[in-house]
Amino acid sequence: MESSNILSWTFAYDFIRGPMVWVAFIVFILGTVFQIIKFLSLSRTSEKITFKAGPGNILKPLPKDAPKTDWLMWLKLSVAGTNPFLIIVTTIFHVLLVLMPIFVLGHNILWDNAFGISMFSLPEGVTDTMTLIVIICALIFLYRRVFLDRVKAITTWGDYLFLFLAAAPFITGYIAYNQTLLDYKLVITLHMLFGELMLMAIPFTKFVHMIYLVLVRFTVVSEWGLGKGSRTW
Amino acid sequence: MFRKKNTAGVNSEEIRAILDEKKDKMKLSLKACAHCTLCAESCFLFMGRDKDPKYMPSYKFINSVGVLYKSKGYVDKLDLGEIRDIVWERCVLCTRCYCPIGIDIPEMIALARRVCRSQGVYPQYDKE
Repeated sequence: MESSNILSWTFAYDFIRGPMVWVAFIVFILGTVFQIIKFLSLSRTSEKITFKAGPGNILKPLPKDAPKTDWLMWLKLSVAGTNPFLIIVTTIFHVLLVLMPIFVLGHNILWDNAFGISMFSLPEGVTDTMTLIVIICALIFLYRRVFLDRVKAITTWGDYLFLFLAAAPFITGYIAYNQTLLDYKLVITLHMLFGELMLMAIPFTKFVHMIYLVLVRFTVVSEWGLGKGSRTW
Repeated sequence: MFRKKNTAGVNSEEIRAILDEKKDKMKLSLKACAHCTLCAESCFLFMGRDKDPKYMPSYKFINSVGVLYKSKGYVDKLDLGEIRDIVWERCVLCTRCYCPIGIDIPEMIALARRVCRSQGVYPQYDKE
C-alpha cells in the first residue's frame, strides 16, 4: 500500500470503522474480565455474623411485626438526600451513557449489516433528545468542576480530559445525526474514534469506576448496595 | 510545588516497602476515584468545619496516600508533616465515609498513618 493511501482520509475512515472496532471491543472485554479477576483477588468473602446465646443469655426471637423501614427517611438520610440534584443528574447521565447507544437505530443497522443481529431501536427523535440530555449533564459536571470549591479542590487536568472523552461520542453523534456545524464524514469518523477510545479506556483509566460501581454494588455491603453483600475489602 | 526535598531522616525504601504491600489496592483506589465529591457529606468533620473541602474523605486520601504513591516514597519530613495533619488531625478513622464506587477510604488513611508512624512522624500529644 502506498504511503499516500495510508495517509488518506478514506484509509482513516475505513480503519476506524473496521479493524479498530474489533480492537476496541476486544480490549474492552478482556480488560473488564481482568478487572473482575482483580476485584475478586483484592476482596474476600465476608464473615457471617451469627448470634449465639451465651451462658445466662437467652436470644429472643425477633418480633414478628418488626418495625417497617421508613423508606422516605432512609432516602433522606442517604446520599440521595444530601445531594439530590447531583444524584439525579449523575443517574440520568450514566444510565443514558451506558444503555442508550444500544438502542440507537444507526448502531443497530450496523449490527444487522455485520452479523444479522440487532436490538430493537428507539425512535430517532427520542435518542436524539437523550443525546442532548447526556450533553447537558456533562455540562453540569463541567460547571461543578470549574466553579464548585469542593470539586475544584481535587480536580486534575485528567478529570477534564475524561469528561471530554465521555461526552465526545455524544457531542459528535448529535452533530452527525443532525448534520450541522461540521462536515458529516469528519464528524462521524470522530464519533467512531471517540467511542472506540472510550471503550478501550474503560478498564484501564479513571473510567474503571464504571466496572467497580457495578461490581461493588452487587457484592459489598454498603448504602445503596443491591446484592447479598457476600464480599468485603 | 517543585521545592527541593531534604530527605534526611526519612527512609524512602521502608516507605516503598509498606506501600508495596497494598500497592494494587492503592493504585486501584486512586484510579477509580472519579473525583465526584459525593463522599463529602458522609464525613462529620467536613460537616462540622463549614464544609471545608480539605475535610472531604477523597481530598484526604488523595493528598496522603496519593502523594506517597506518586512520589514513590521520595518524601521529606515536611511532606510527612502535612500528611500527618491530614490523617490524624482531619480524620478520626470512624469508617463512616461513603463512596459510591466502594473505595475503602479508611484503609487508605490507615496506610498513610502506618507510613508516617514508620518514619516517626505522628502526633505526640504529651509533647505538643
